[in-house]
Amino acid sequence: MIKIEKRNDVPTTLYFLTPFIAIFLTIIGGGIIFYFLGFNPIEALKFFFVTPISNLYGFSELLLKATPLCLIAIGLSFCFKSNNWNIGAEGQLTFGAIVGGGVALLFYDQEGFYILPTIIIAGALGGMFFALIPAVLKTYFNTNEILVSLMLVYVSKLLLDYLVVGPWSNPEGFNFPETRQFSNSARMPLLFEGLRIHAGIFLALLAVMLSWFVLYKTYLGFQIKVSGLSLKTAKYAGFKGKTMILVVFMISGACAGLAGVGEITGPIGQLHRMISPDYGFTAIIVAFLGRLNPFGIIFASLIVALTYLGAETAQIFLQIPKYTGQVFQGMILFFLLASDYLLFFKIKILSLKKNDLRH
Amino acid sequence: MPTDLRVSNISKIYPGCIANDKVSLQFKSGKIYALLGENGAGKSTLVKILSGVISPDNGEVFLNEKSLKLNSPLDAKKNKIGMVFQHFNLFETLSVFENLSIDTNEDNKNLRVKINDILKKYNFSIDLDIPVLNLSAGQKQKVEIIRCLLRNPKVLIMDEPTSVLTEQETDELFISLKKFCDEGILIIYITHKLKEVLSLCDEVAVMRKGKVVSVSQTEDEKIETLANKMVGQKLAKIKKKNNNLKNKVEIFKVKHLNFYSNDPFETNLENINFSVKKGECLGIAGISGNGQNELFQILSGEIITSNTSIIFRNKEIAQLNPKQRREYLMAFSPEDRISQAAVPELKIYENVALNNFKSSNFFEKGLVNEKKIKEHSKKILTDFSVNTDNVELKSQFLSGGNLQKLILGRELITAPELLICYNPTWGLDVGAINYIHETLLKINDQEKSTILISTDTEELLKLSDRIAVIYKGKLSRIMPSEEVTPEKLGVLMGGGSIDKN
Repeated sequence: MIKIEKRNDVPTTLYFLTPFIAIFLTIIGGGIIFYFLGFNPIEALKFFFVTPISNLYGFSELLLKATPLCLIAIGLSFCFKSNNWNIGAEGQLTFGAIVGGGVALLFYDQEGFYILPTIIIAGALGGMFFALIPAVLKTYFNTNEILVSLMLVYVSKLLLDYLVVGPWSNPEGFNFPETRQFSNSARMPLLFEGLRIHAGIFLALLAVMLSWFVLYKTYLGFQIKVSGLSLKTAKYAGFKGKTMILVVFMISGACAGLAGVGEITGPIGQLHRMISPDYGFTAIIVAFLGRLNPFGIIFASLIVALTYLGAETAQIFLQIPKYTGQVFQGMILFFLLASDYLLFFKIKILSLKKNDLRH
Repeated sequence: MPTDLRVSNISKIYPGCIANDKVSLQFKSGKIYALLGENGAGKSTLVKILSGVISPDNGEVFLNEKSLKLNSPLDAKKNKIGMVFQHFNLFETLSVFENLSIDTNEDNKNLRVKINDILKKYNFSIDLDIPVLNLSAGQKQKVEIIRCLLRNPKVLIMDEPTSVLTEQETDELFISLKKFCDEGILIIYITHKLKEVLSLCDEVAVMRKGKVVSVSQTEDEKIETLANKMVGQKLAKIKKKNNNLKNKVEIFKVKHLNFYSNDPFETNLENINFSVKKGECLGIAGISGNGQNELFQILSGEIITSNTSIIFRNKEIAQLNPKQRREYLMAFSPEDRISQAAVPELKIYENVALNNFKSSNFFEKGLVNEKKIKEHSKKILTDFSVNTDNVELKSQFLSGGNLQKLILGRELITAPELLICYNPTWGLDVGAINYIHETLLKINDQEKSTILISTDTEELLKLSDRIAVIYKGKLSRIMPSEEVTPEKLGVLMGGGSIDKN
C-alpha cells in the first residue's frame, strides 16, 4: 500500500533549489528524446542551449524574448500569490496590443516624443481593462476566473484577426492580414545598433523592482501574502477581498498589456495575427519556475526564453520542428510540479501481506 | 474466558520527544479502565500501538499471555481488539447499513439480522437505512460501536468518546459501556475528563509525559487528587466570580439576527436576540454544528447579513467588516487557530500584524513598518507568556497552547471593550487552559466584556455570568449562571426543554 503524507517543514533553500533540479531533469529528458529521434544527444542539446547564445546577436535575442515573459510573469505572480488563477495573460497581452496598436495607427503618419508613451499607457490600460472582466465577474457574480480568463484569450485573438483583415488592414498592403507599419516615433528605441534588443527591457526591470517593493514592503503585499496562504484568515482579518481581487487582476493585466505593446512597438512594428508565440501562456511556467519571486522570475524568464531560441536553432540545424520548444517548456513544468510534489509530500510504501486482505 | 491484556515496557520515541517511556500496564476483563492524561501525555500513542496503527520501538503486547504482533489495524481486529476513535470513520453519504457492511464478508441478510440483534440487546434506536449525515454525533458513535461489536471484541478501546456528546448521550454511552463490561468485554477508556473517570471507571492509570505515573482504584480517588496527578502540580483553583452587573450598561446588542444559507453544511440562524453588559461574560453553549460557526462569523463581520441590527457602544455596526469593527474596539478569537486566527506558514510578527488597528501604525501610508510590528509582537510574547521571544519564528513551531496565547495576546493587547471567542481552549492542555481562563476572567474584572461561544460546559459554567444554549440555529432563553447546571445545559444542548409547560 502507498501512503502519501504532507511534510511539515520544507527548508527554504530546498524550495528555491528545486527549480534547478527541474531544469536539470529537463535537460536529461531532452537528451533522451533527441537520442530516440536519432540525434547525438550531447550535440543536439548544444544546438538547443549553447549555440543560440554563443554570440552577441543571440544574447540580444535571448533578452528580447525574456522581456515579455518576465513582464507577464511578474504580473501573474500578484494573481497567483493571492490565489487568483488568471491564466488569460495571452488575451490581456493581445488586447493591450490592440489598444496600443490602435493608438499607434492613429499616429501612423506623425512623429513626436509623446507618441510612444501614449501607446505604452494605452496598452497597459487595455490589458488592465481586459483583466478586469474576469475579476469583476468573479467578485460580483461568483464565476470561475480560470474559465473566463482563458476563454477571453480567444475573444481577443479573434478580435485582432478581424481588425487586421478588416478595418485596420493596410490599404497599401495587397490584402495581407496586417496593418500599416507604425511611424518611427511609435517604436521602442533600440539599445544597440544592429541588435533587436529595445528599451522595453527597462519596463520589465522596473516591473521587477516595483513588484518586489509592493509584495514585500507594503500593506497590499501583506494582504496578498495572507490571502494566498489562507483565504479564511484574510476574511477574518477584514481585508477587502473584492478590492484586492480587482487590484491584482489589474496589475496582472497591465503587465501583460505592456508586454504586448513592447512586442508590437519593438521587434514587430505593426499589428498582425502572430504578435505573440503564446508568451502569455508560457509566462505561467515562468512565474512558477521563478517561485513567484521577482528575482526568481528574471532567472526563469531567461531559461524559458532560451527554449524558444533553442527550438529555432534546432529547426535550422537539425531540421526538427520548432515546436520542440514547447516540449521543453512542458517538461520544465512537469518536472517542477513533480519535484514540488515530492518536496511537499512524502510517499511511504507500507508492506502489505497477502492474508491481510482477508479478516 | 476472561481476557487479560498486558503491555510490557512499551517505548515509542519520536524525533525530539519520547511519546511512550517504558509503559507497562495490565488490564483484565470485567472492569472498565481509564487512561487519563493531558494532551501529549502519551495516551494516544499507547492506544495507537494497541490498535496497530503504529508499532512500538520497544516492548510487547500480550493478550492472554500470548505475545501479539500488531503491524496494522487489521491485526488488531483479528485479535479482537476494537477501537472507537474520537473522529468517526464513517461515510456521511452512505446509509448506516452500508457503512456497517463495508468491512465484513457477511451477506447482507445475515448482517442485518446480526445488527438488529445488537440494536435490540443494547436498546439502541438507529434507523439503518438513512444516510449517516442525518445522525447526531451520539448516533454516529453508536454506529462505530456496533461496527466493533459485530466482530465480538474482547477488548474495546474508546478514545475521548464524550467530546462530541450531550449529557444525555454521555449517560446512555456509560450505561452501554457498563453492559459491555458485564458481558466480559475489557474496556479501556481514554479521557481527560476527571468526572467521567470517577463515575464510570473501576481503575485508573494516569500518564504524564510518556510515563505511567500512577495506577489506582477510582474509589480511592477524588477529582482533586486525579487532577494533581495528571498535571503534576497543584492546580490553582479558579473561582467562579460573582459580579454585580445590575447597574452596568449594555454595550452590545444584537436584534433580529437571521441567516439563511444555501449551503447544506451551514446552519441557518433564526431570530437571535441578546445583549451583553459592560464587564459581563455571556456564554453560548451548544454541541458543535448548531450554528456557532455562522454566529461567530456574523458577530465578527466575516458574514454580513441584511436586516440584522448589531449595536456596539451605541453605534450600528452590522454592516461593518471585521477590520472596521476592530476600530470600534472589538476583538475576535475564532475556533480554528491554525487556518483562520493565524497562518502557520507566517512568522509570529506577521501573524501579529493581522490585527491591524488604526493606532497600531503597523502600516504607515501603505508601507510595512516592520520595526513597529516586531516591537509590538515582543510585548505580546512577554505579556502573555508565550514560550519564545523570537518574533521571526514561524508560527507552525508553536504548540497549540502557545499559539492560542499569541492569538489572545494579539487580540487583547489593544484593550478591546468586547472580546468574542469561540472554543478558546479547544485541544489545549490543562496548564494552557488555566492560563486562558484566568486571562478571560481578568478582562471581565477590568470591566471589559466577553462573548464566549464554547462546546465545553465546564468552561462555560466557570467563566460565564449568563448562559444561553444554541440548538439548530436557535438561541434558548438566556439564564443567569447560578440557575444553570450541567444537566440543564445538556438537556438544552440535546434539543430538550427545561421550562415547564
